[in-house]
Amino acid sequence: MSDQHKIGAYLCSGCGIGEAIDMEALSTVATSEMKAAGCKVHEALCSEAGVKLIADDIASGETTKPMIAACSHRVMTDKFQFDGVNVVRANLREQVVWCHTANDEDTQMLASDQVRMGLSQTMNSNAPVAAPQQSHSETVLVVGGGFVGLTAAIEASKTGHKAILVERSDRLGGMTAHWSKVMPERPPYRDLADNPVPSLIAAVEADADITVMTDTLVTKTSGSPGMFEVELTKAGTASIETIGGIVIATGWRPYDATKLGHLGYGASPDVVTGVELEDMLGNGAVKRKSDGGAPKTVAFVLCAGSRDTAHLPYCSSVCCGASIKHAIQLVDADPDVMAYIIFDELRTPGTAEEFYRVAQEKGVIFVKGKVESVGSDLTVTYHDELLGDDIPMSGLDMVVLATGMVPNSTNVDAPTQSIDDLQEVYVKSDINPVAPFAVAGYAEGTEAPEPIVRAEEALPEGGSILNLQYRQGPHIPILADGFSDSHYICFPYETRRSGIYTAGPVRRPMDFGEAALDATGATLKVIQSIRTVSDGASVHPRVGDLSLPKFGLDICTKCKRCTVECPFGAIDENAEDFPVVNQSRCRRCGTCMGACPVRTISFDNYSVNMINEMAAAVEIPDEFDEKPRVLILACENDAYPALDMAGINRHTYSSMVRVIPVRCLGSVSLLNVSESLSKGYDGVILMGCKSGDDYQCHFVKGSGLATERMGKISETLSSMMLEPERVTTMDVSIADSAKVGKLIDDFMANIDDIGPNPFKGF
Amino acid sequence: MAEQKYDLGFARYVRDNIDGGDKLSMCMQCGVCSGSCPIGTEMDHGPRKLFMMIRAGMKEAVLKSNTMFNCVSCYNCVVRCPRSVPVKYILHDLGRLAITEGYADRKEVENSRFADAFWWSVTKFGKTDERLVTAKYYFSGGIGEGIKKGMGNMRIALGMIKTKRMHLGMPHKTKKQKNLKAILAKATEIQDRTSGAGER
Amino acid sequence: MAKKYTYYPGCSSEGSAKHLDTSIRAIAPKLGIEIEDIEDWNCCGASVGELAAGKLTNAALSASNLAQAREQGDQDLMTPCAACYLNTHATNEHIREDDTFKNDLNEALAAAGKSYDGDLHVRHACEVLVNDVGLDAIREQVTNPLDGIKIAGYVGCQTVRPFAATERGGDYDSYDDPEFLDDFINATGAEAIDFDNATSCCGGSVSVMSPDKTLHLMKKILDEAKEKGADAIATPCPLCQTNVEMYQDAINQKFGTDFDIPVVFYSQLMALAFGMDASKDAALHQNIIKADKLVAKAKT
Repeated sequence: MSDQHKIGAYLCSGCGIGEAIDMEALSTVATSEMKAAGCKVHEALCSEAGVKLIADDIASGETTKPMIAACSHRVMTDKFQFDGVNVVRANLREQVVWCHTANDEDTQMLASDQVRMGLSQTMNSNAPVAAPQQSHSETVLVVGGGFVGLTAAIEASKTGHKAILVERSDRLGGMTAHWSKVMPERPPYRDLADNPVPSLIAAVEADADITVMTDTLVTKTSGSPGMFEVELTKAGTASIETIGGIVIATGWRPYDATKLGHLGYGASPDVVTGVELEDMLGNGAVKRKSDGGAPKTVAFVLCAGSRDTAHLPYCSSVCCGASIKHAIQLVDADPDVMAYIIFDELRTPGTAEEFYRVAQEKGVIFVKGKVESVGSDLTVTYHDELLGDDIPMSGLDMVVLATGMVPNSTNVDAPTQSIDDLQEVYVKSDINPVAPFAVAGYAEGTEAPEPIVRAEEALPEGGSILNLQYRQGPHIPILADGFSDSHYICFPYETRRSGIYTAGPVRRPMDFGEAALDATGATLKVIQSIRTVSDGASVHPRVGDLSLPKFGLDICTKCKRCTVECPFGAIDENAEDFPVVNQSRCRRCGTCMGACPVRTISFDNYSVNMINEMAAAVEIPDEFDEKPRVLILACENDAYPALDMAGINRHTYSSMVRVIPVRCLGSVSLLNVSESLSKGYDGVILMGCKSGDDYQCHFVKGSGLATERMGKISETLSSMMLEPERVTTMDVSIADSAKVGKLIDDFMANIDDIGPNPFKGF
Repeated sequence: MAEQKYDLGFARYVRDNIDGGDKLSMCMQCGVCSGSCPIGTEMDHGPRKLFMMIRAGMKEAVLKSNTMFNCVSCYNCVVRCPRSVPVKYILHDLGRLAITEGYADRKEVENSRFADAFWWSVTKFGKTDERLVTAKYYFSGGIGEGIKKGMGNMRIALGMIKTKRMHLGMPHKTKKQKNLKAILAKATEIQDRTSGAGER
Repeated sequence: MAKKYTYYPGCSSEGSAKHLDTSIRAIAPKLGIEIEDIEDWNCCGASVGELAAGKLTNAALSASNLAQAREQGDQDLMTPCAACYLNTHATNEHIREDDTFKNDLNEALAAAGKSYDGDLHVRHACEVLVNDVGLDAIREQVTNPLDGIKIAGYVGCQTVRPFAATERGGDYDSYDDPEFLDDFINATGAEAIDFDNATSCCGGSVSVMSPDKTLHLMKKILDEAKEKGADAIATPCPLCQTNVEMYQDAINQKFGTDFDIPVVFYSQLMALAFGMDASKDAALHQNIIKADKLVAKAKT
């Protein structure tokens, strides 16, 4: 231990800790064993008196590195904050006394190990030094001049940030610029509302802080949050802008109706799409294309080419409401008009239910049926489920197909961009191969339909929106079905490229109300990422984190694993092929740290070595004591909170486990596993968020990578004469607190069967 | 299956001309009406299905069905419909339409035969003479049927006579029958004049 | 002090439901009700008038009764028959709500020099008993409690549906689980059994026309009454009383049952419980299936 540092241990005996644990014995562990400079026990460290106790010690220099053993590090963070000091927390409450037997030998051993690990962590970590980045831009770039882009630009301006609004066509407004009316968003939710886009355009054009660039494409994007260098090309002329953050609001285009020949499109000019009808309504009157006459009997075919594996497999969410709106508009204009809406399911969630009733009151007829064909004479044949028959609906003047939304996650007007093989993997759903998923809702033993197999993804057509000059390719990662990836569970708008956010239908189908919220949310995220740059801090999930990965280039083998595996493309190579971190892109997850085969990457307060030392600090009983030890590396986003919540709910589980929180399972190095096994741990569990296509991992790929890496460890284990079952990964989400105890106990039972680690005591 | 005829304008017609038909579009096919109907199993189609058939334009199938004529007017559907669709009223008026348009034969359907016998008594006496109405109704299907029905219900008739619940004398009449007749005639004139609905 | 009502007896009161009329007239004075018949009342049209003649013409029948009743004063109009109540009350409310309808009917009434503005309140006799008279007043009149008699309270359909839970309908009971009839029965000292089929339909006018379609509906009612040991079924509706009583033979023939259950009116029970004459007042001699047990309870 360095002489400059005085490590003070502070043990809290509140919240039941003192009643369940021998605090004096713990103090002895801290001082005599771990050689802490001091150890103080307090009945309520989070109280004013408790905090003052620590603060005074720091002020007087009696303690330079405090280790607080009390409640979980997830709580009381505001209380235990001391400027410039790295506070280390050890969990004696949620994961010791709240989930294990009081005044019990094993619980006492667990508490002692928590103190040992805490002090070891304190010895092996230092407060990160902030590296604020000075010159950066506060300007927001909004790509796409439709409703979402317009809203984003205005919101940016309202918060005092300049915005550049880039639109590829010659006009602002996007798909909905000329729509006549929109669905109601105000009580009583019955009357059609005016299209908000024209006034938005006027507001944007009048706003001095918003620069509008039409006929413009983004031809190059490089840099990192706060300092993006963006090349904008307007009608052939290029200019460079320094940008703080980017909102992608490129919106949607309607599904190509020429593919819907079976629904009559193309067979008759009077079979039109909802978007074409919208154009007619916007231009004043609805007229049949065949003879210019006004239609008197109109049928709307919902889900035209949607929820259909041969076309768009997903639901576009707004087409039902839009069709109801169209029907109402037709009947309002001419009460003699008969409008039929043929639906398979009718999706009118929330206040839209009232809107549906309005249509019924106006005499619009709703028919539940699956449309099978539309003839050139406009006969719509549908299978009526309630009558159990195929009904021909004939005598119609016009048929409207409610087609779905296709996201503009690429620029389809531009030629398809060539992508290096290496980059391909980042564009095509690089989380997990597209696996078939079972149809939900069928009880075991009943005959469920075949699992739905998603088509193998092709590389997206068209050019990239931002032309990212990242080693991971020009595109913003795109999910299955073509939507821009956004971590919808935890972080909507997130794109896996820090500082760049998506909003609106480009990330999922939505209506005006949701789109307005999306635009606002994404803009605020951009602003957050811009502002943290000047602190040198990270954005979500480790908001405010000042630590940065440091590379010991002297032993770097230039294997490029870190650059390849970084989920955010934060690492580039320099001219000598050494890795270079784009600081403001970095999210401090440590995936690079876990990837590095020579462990030369570390953070000031988090490293492979620190984890190894913490694991090693634990006292491993020898095999005759029949007290196994299993190391749980629990990701701090989901698994660790689940364990805490198990404690809060007083679920009990084996006290033989030792938990070390990690930032992400992606940051776990193979060495952490092999070292712990060689130290005598009987098993290692990597507990983290779900990986895969519908990932929950807060750093996108971390848990997936960990699983992959652990796949390689079985060879190593076998060579060590250890059973591969000793090491496992577990999917634990924050909602699994009720079952995490059982998962642990089941694993312990398995370990009991296998027997103790032969390396114990070596 | 025989070829179905679909008349897309039927739903509109029902909406504009049938008592309560303007509420038909509110139906959300929940089925509470059919589920509550005590006589639903005797109907060709329950009310819910009938309404769906109206929407599909199956005019002939609707007006030829016996649904409307089996309704016992219990009003369960009316009080339970979550969309306040006046089910019973729509059914009864559809029955009238079926007869008017010739899908149901006035002379054959029990309901219209009974209704006609009933109305004969009302216009003649201003009141329902139960015995005469019953007799007229029984014989409206011909002498043979009249005798058969009469014989079949002889015991009931005797019971009624014995307990003095069948009036045996001259039918009770309203005193100012002329007045009532005038009122009814005028009402019919207005009826024909205004909507054409409810024609005899 | 007696409250005055104009009274609409209905066509059945002169025939098949004579015993309802007799017993109501008997108990009315005891309950503080003074009734005055509508002069020269006519038929209300029942369930089939509309099919015969059309909506407006059928409504004209009720309009005629209303106009006449109004000439006799603005006191409430009361009727004991479910169908008469339905027609008259519905027409009255429609007149009050729809000016075109009101004007059309008045044009028709004018042909006989009559008119009606819609200011009467049409009420069902049972509702009057519940809201105006009250159970306490009924109990007070019981001098001959019908102890030991078990009655199945069969409410039927049109007495409560669709108006019993509306404001103008008196808001006095529910559609699916009405209590008023059981309350009446218990007030007389008899025991109202727990009767699940209280609001099951007897088949109404369809039973008159084509009983083969509805015998099973009536059987349901009789099955439960018998199973629960009811001595009689009591009902407020003339058609229910006639249907459920007179079709027991046909049901027995078709289903092999042996029903012989008396079907009486609640007003007959009341007359009996008030110590009045079994024949003259309670008109029990007019039930085809004799309610012997009840007759035996008569004071005189």
